[in-house]
Amino acid sequence: MSKLKNMGDKELAAVTAASVILFAVVSHWVLEAISTVELLELAYGSFKLFNNPLVF
Amino acid sequence: MINELLLQFGHWMEAQEYSQMLVSGYYSYNWVEAIHVLTLMVSIGSLFVIDFRMMGWLLPNVPATTIAHRLHKPMIIGFVIMFITGALLVYAKPVETIQSLWFRIKMVLLLLAFINAWIFNARLKAAEGTWDNDPVAPKNLRSGAIISIVLWCSVVTMGRYIPYDWVDCANTSNTTILWAAGCVDQLNAL
Amino acid sequence: MISTILNQYRATASVVAVLAVIILLELLGFRSAIYPSLLPAFEWIKYSTPIGVIGTTYGSIYATVEALHLISMATIGGLVLATDLRLLNVVLRDTPSETIVEGTYKVFKVALVVAVLTGIFCAAGVADKVYYMPVFWIKMGVLAAGSVFMIFFKQPLLSGVPHSEISPWSIRLLAVTSILIWFTVAATGRWIGFS
Repeated sequence: MSKLKNMGDKELAAVTAASVILFAVVSHWVLEAISTVELLELAYGSFKLFNNPLVF
Repeated sequence: MINELLLQFGHWMEAQEYSQMLVSGYYSYNWVEAIHVLTLMVSIGSLFVIDFRMMGWLLPNVPATTIAHRLHKPMIIGFVIMFITGALLVYAKPVETIQSLWFRIKMVLLLLAFINAWIFNARLKAAEGTWDNDPVAPKNLRSGAIISIVLWCSVVTMGRYIPYDWVDCANTSNTTILWAAGCVDQLNAL
Repeated sequence: MISTILNQYRATASVVAVLAVIILLELLGFRSAIYPSLLPAFEWIKYSTPIGVIGTTYGSIYATVEALHLISMATIGGLVLATDLRLLNVVLRDTPSETIVEGTYKVFKVALVVAVLTGIFCAAGVADKVYYMPVFWIKMGVLAAGSVFMIFFKQPLLSGVPHSEISPWSIRLLAVTSILIWFTVAATGRWIGFS
């Protein structure tokens, strides 16, 4: 809380904006990874990266 | 004769099991291509920062050799990844790529770019200490930077043209293009 | 009391206000309400504007503009790497980070403008296809958020205040967010090409 009090307006605004954007972008990639794993499991029965007709 | 040898080599690669696996997997080929394109940001990105500094377009108050030396490692790492992924892309679709006019021009331009980089680095070493803090590099280094920018932009453009079939072997009857692209079978048929 | 706080923290208040508006619009279903009305605009761009017609007719021009899009993307990538890796203390450690941040901004703006203009041309040529792609809209969202973040928050802070007066974790957060934004824009862009 003391850190937040010491932050200037510009810094607090930038940190707030960055936190929101970072959360959104990371969520996007996590969801992508989850849906890719689900797709591979659907196609090949289990999550396999090699000897898999979809991947390699 | 070289064209025949290259085509034979292409057919031999095509017959390899891993080549077929790489091109037939939905994710594998696309991932290799995506990494190849995205790593442009690291390899050519670093190179452009160095070249732009030589031209005085950015960071004019930072010694140019500092930028060149500090960004050298990320640039080399980027180019190594580009080379590996590029080789895998050729390996996945060997005959198509070897007979692509744009790919051949790209390889020639790459060679010229590396020669230019060699000359540039030699001149950079020789000029060390004499002009480092100037916002703009001396003329011979500036010309090396401009040539580098033009060559690498051309390499990227030729790479972008490869997937298009405008002048593929089967789609053209111009003998110069057929010879330059090594379309042996089509040339013999004419 | 509240008015003094709001006055002191104007930038932060504006961020919170924009976020509140976005959340409100989401809850009201604004996106799904406006989406159908965009289709005619996209079709008009592709079939009736010069850039759409040229892009669909001349494949070589389209490919060349695409290559220019890639080159500007590479430039942005290089600048982001040089700046944000310096903020994370990974490269160019012997140069003050303030110098790097200020010295790269002009070229960044030029590269971003070129990327956006070439991107508009490329999207125009396939407008009726990208309209239906979620990944296209995600790219546009991240691009818009990233550009606003860069121009109105990150750059003003990092070129206006000495970095020793900013919390190191704030700087790290800004650098990591910036890297992830531009990587995501590039990667989703590549994905559009696959679809």
